[in-house]
Amino acid sequence: MATNRTGAAQRPNGAPQTKVCQFKLVLLGESAVGKSSLVLRFVKGQFHEYQESTIGAAFLTQAIRFDDTTVKFEIWDTAGQERYHSLAPMYYRGAQSAIVVYDITNQDTFGRAKNWVKELQRQASPSIVIALAGNKSDLAAKRMVEFEEAQAYADENGLLFMETSAKTAMNVNDIFLAIANKLPKSEAGAAGAAGGGRRLADGEQPRPSQCCK
Amino acid sequence: MNQDDIKSVVQEKFLSSERVTAFLSDAKVLYPERVMKDRLLAIVEFGDEKAVFCLFTSCYPPKSFTDLSIEIVLPIDNSFKCEIDNKPTDPEAVLYLNLQSRNSKFKFEIQITPRVDNFVDDLFRGIDAVNKVPTQPEFVWLKKYKGKSEEDIFAHTMVVERSGVAHTQSSAPVAFRESLIKHKMADKEMEYTFCKRFTIFCGTWNVNDKPPVIPLKEWLNVDKEPPDIYAVGFQELDLSKETFLFDQTVREDEWYHAVLNYVDPRAKYVKLEKVRLVGMMLIVLIKAKHVSHVSNVICDTVGTGIMGKMGNKGGVSIRFDIHNTSICFVNSHLAAHVEEYERRNQDFRDICNRTRFAQPNQLPKTIKDHDHIYWLGDLNYRITELDPSTVKRMVSEHNFGPVLEWDQLKQQHKIDNVFSGYLEGPINFKPTYKYDPGTDNWDSSEKNRAPAWCDRIFWKGKEITQLAYRSHPSLNISDHKPVSAVFSSYIKIIDEEKYRKVYEEVIKHLDKMENELIPQVKVDRTEIDFGTVRYLELQVQTITIRNTGKLPVEFEFIKKLDDTSFCKEWLIVEPYKKSICADEVCEIHLKVLINKTSACKMNAGTDKLYDILVLHLYGGKDIFITVNGTYQRSCFGCSIEVLVNLNVPIKEVAVGKLIELENKRDQTVSQQSTYSIPKEIWFLVDHIYLHGLKEPNLFEQPGLHSEILQIRDWLDSGSIDPIPGSIHSVAEALLLLLESTVDPIIPYNLQSVCLRASANYLQCKQIVMELPEFRKNVFLYLCEFLQEALQHSAENGLDAKTLSTLFGSIFLRDNPNNSHEPQTRINKQVVDKKKAQFVYHFLINDHSDLIFSR
Repeated sequence: MATNRTGAAQRPNGAPQTKVCQFKLVLLGESAVGKSSLVLRFVKGQFHEYQESTIGAAFLTQAIRFDDTTVKFEIWDTAGQERYHSLAPMYYRGAQSAIVVYDITNQDTFGRAKNWVKELQRQASPSIVIALAGNKSDLAAKRMVEFEEAQAYADENGLLFMETSAKTAMNVNDIFLAIANKLPKSEAGAAGAAGGGRRLADGEQPRPSQCCK
Repeated sequence: MNQDDIKSVVQEKFLSSERVTAFLSDAKVLYPERVMKDRLLAIVEFGDEKAVFCLFTSCYPPKSFTDLSIEIVLPIDNSFKCEIDNKPTDPEAVLYLNLQSRNSKFKFEIQITPRVDNFVDDLFRGIDAVNKVPTQPEFVWLKKYKGKSEEDIFAHTMVVERSGVAHTQSSAPVAFRESLIKHKMADKEMEYTFCKRFTIFCGTWNVNDKPPVIPLKEWLNVDKEPPDIYAVGFQELDLSKETFLFDQTVREDEWYHAVLNYVDPRAKYVKLEKVRLVGMMLIVLIKAKHVSHVSNVICDTVGTGIMGKMGNKGGVSIRFDIHNTSICFVNSHLAAHVEEYERRNQDFRDICNRTRFAQPNQLPKTIKDHDHIYWLGDLNYRITELDPSTVKRMVSEHNFGPVLEWDQLKQQHKIDNVFSGYLEGPINFKPTYKYDPGTDNWDSSEKNRAPAWCDRIFWKGKEITQLAYRSHPSLNISDHKPVSAVFSSYIKIIDEEKYRKVYEEVIKHLDKMENELIPQVKVDRTEIDFGTVRYLELQVQTITIRNTGKLPVEFEFIKKLDDTSFCKEWLIVEPYKKSICADEVCEIHLKVLINKTSACKMNAGTDKLYDILVLHLYGGKDIFITVNGTYQRSCFGCSIEVLVNLNVPIKEVAVGKLIELENKRDQTVSQQSTYSIPKEIWFLVDHIYLHGLKEPNLFEQPGLHSEILQIRDWLDSGSIDPIPGSIHSVAEALLLLLESTVDPIIPYNLQSVCLRASANYLQCKQIVMELPEFRKNVFLYLCEFLQEALQHSAENGLDAKTLSTLFGSIFLRDNPNNSHEPQTRINKQVVDKKKAQFVYHFLINDHSDLIFSR
């Protein structure tokens, strides 16, 4: 069996694995569609019926284990009010992923979401992973945006799509997991490309280049 | 990477005024809690004050200061104590540094390297210095580094190192987080591992240059069960000169294959590693089924022969991790000669100190850094105090005990001069040296030495039981007999399920900690409405930021994308950047002042009283603060061409209309215009003409700001009351009005022509003739008025020189867009003189011809 002086290939089965990939994720969408509530549900498992309006960009962090990798999201939850629109690029520029949120009970917010998607496609990083979230799925009785319509739109634009409910927690973890799944964690060609070949602290796994842009 | 490079990385962790004077890598913290490896000690000096820092290195050698996190800070004050323990005989060549500062006590283990002296000297210099001065240093500079508990230390590092602003990102926190996870997981090892017994066979044989011509079954395959791991060491594999000098031998393969042929055939073995230095060879074989659980197989060799280098004596080692346990095998051949036990002790220490298992980006591991260590070999210790015949007799009677009392190795081991911390099993076999080759007879040569147990096996580590320790006399080709030992050792195995669970708990805990440490503040309001804002009237509003988190918060108003400043030019934010301690409050003053530059933009509609400020918390969120107000339009900051078209006070002009006029001001022509000069100028000049020509110090004494604001309102609202304020305020208002117009009376593009022509009245007149119509009117009107004023110089004290200097700078305003060309003072004086000279002509000459040429 090959000698492993560099420790590059083998690892004992189940030995400590501490590969961490960090991604910046930004939430965009009309005000009051539930962006902050989604984050609060994801990060703290909480839900407040009367969530304060975000004036600015809230910052939270959450790690999830995905296969043998820890995917750590640095989440920027932005203000939805139109007057803050011009500040959004500060947050989506450099983000590896975005969740564009609309409210299934409000057709206008879906239109607004489409505009956000367009803006991201035009202005954000070309490799950004975009997920569309139809929030407030617990209010299906007041539904104004059909699931099929949103699904078709998402398919056309290559977006991840789920209907979510911050209130019931439906699909909240799932949508973050789906994003983590789609984010490039592959190690192909990463060792040399990643910022001068800086290796991880445990010296075991090369850092995916996408993680440290 | 040399020591200087590392030092410069360490220095980066500190401010440039804080100088790293000495440092030691490869330190361990032993006290107060648990052993923490991968630490670096540094002495840092700030002015006369010194402190010892202990830093965690997440990667070795550290490549950037982000690989280092400060954990312990010990100021060197008069409470500081330093004690050093070292045992000169300690084979590990380590030194213990006991440091005490104020109420903290720490014990560090450091490697003895040449740089230790330097470090310790520096430390004592610091202690001496601090005990000489009567007053104690305050160590204000250390406050930023100090944490009270582990959580604080993490907090500190996280806050400082987190990628700060939204649009920047660094990988430092990722690496930091990784090392934290690793550290936490190591602490919780017990929670996710279970133990399983492995049998380990260790064999050693000095083959005295013989090829493997006999079967090895009687040595390697005599146990009931096949062992999980074989570690087989040879010495004197090949005594030829070629091997000694060039380190090449065919014997390596011969003996290796002999071993492979004679290991227990009931199990399938594969080679983990094989290493040889001259005559010393170590082979590690493992059952094939365990291979996938082995990692980081690394070997090293150390020669301790002549010059401390040659490989005829020394040690060869192989280390690896199996499941979650690290194992190291060492095969050594220590110095020969009967009396040389001190030399053998030294060889042992040298092998311990010099063996280094290099791993990328980590501090190299040494022999002692392993959970299990097995040390075998021809250690060469003898029996010198008993005469050979007594030894032989007692041995033949199997009476080993009294003989072993005189075994040099037993004696040296007992007093911790060698193999300190290692164990050896009881010896129940005959000495293994020296025999006549091919027989079981003691060496028959003339030397007649006492037989000795040269070939031995030691171990170190928890949960190891020796099952057998024996020699194998039937293998008699050499002058030594082979020896072997079988161990039953607990190997820690990871329970996948539990590991996953613990790992997730660790991550969750870190997330929670991190999110709790994200700076939290309350801002009392995010909407600032200044209401009506008037020209030159400063307004101030205050917002209050309260730090509601647990840690100090640093805030800064940050620039929006592509902006050059964090706020509009008419806004002043004080302070725009500050740290707030937990539970403390900071007031931020927002000041609005519309001056002529911003007034022009407001009038032209290119700017409005609206801005969103981004208040960024380092390591945390951003808060948007909206600033709003309504600008009360004023005649100040309008164009002359616009003012001549306004037949109503500016207050009555719709905002849109004003913007339209400003944007079309170049097309204004006399036929359509209401006035030939702005009525506002006329009002002010006429007032002075009627009431103030004889006023002493006219145009020299400043007006009152409040009166000027009243005059502004009077002009803007078209009041029918008399003009408010003193003559001096009216005169200053006139100057301010003339200065505030969008374009100066003499256009910027004509300024250099005017300056060149300033000595020549005719040329100056020519230029004035060519001025845009309304500006020419204003120019001549004012010159006429000033001439009038000069008529009363006896009363008002005016003279043409002073007036021409004052008005020269107003008529010929410097283009603010050219301000990037720095004017020297002398140059400016020359220019100012020429401006005055230009105006002077029109104050002393009769230029009525110009007026009537209209």
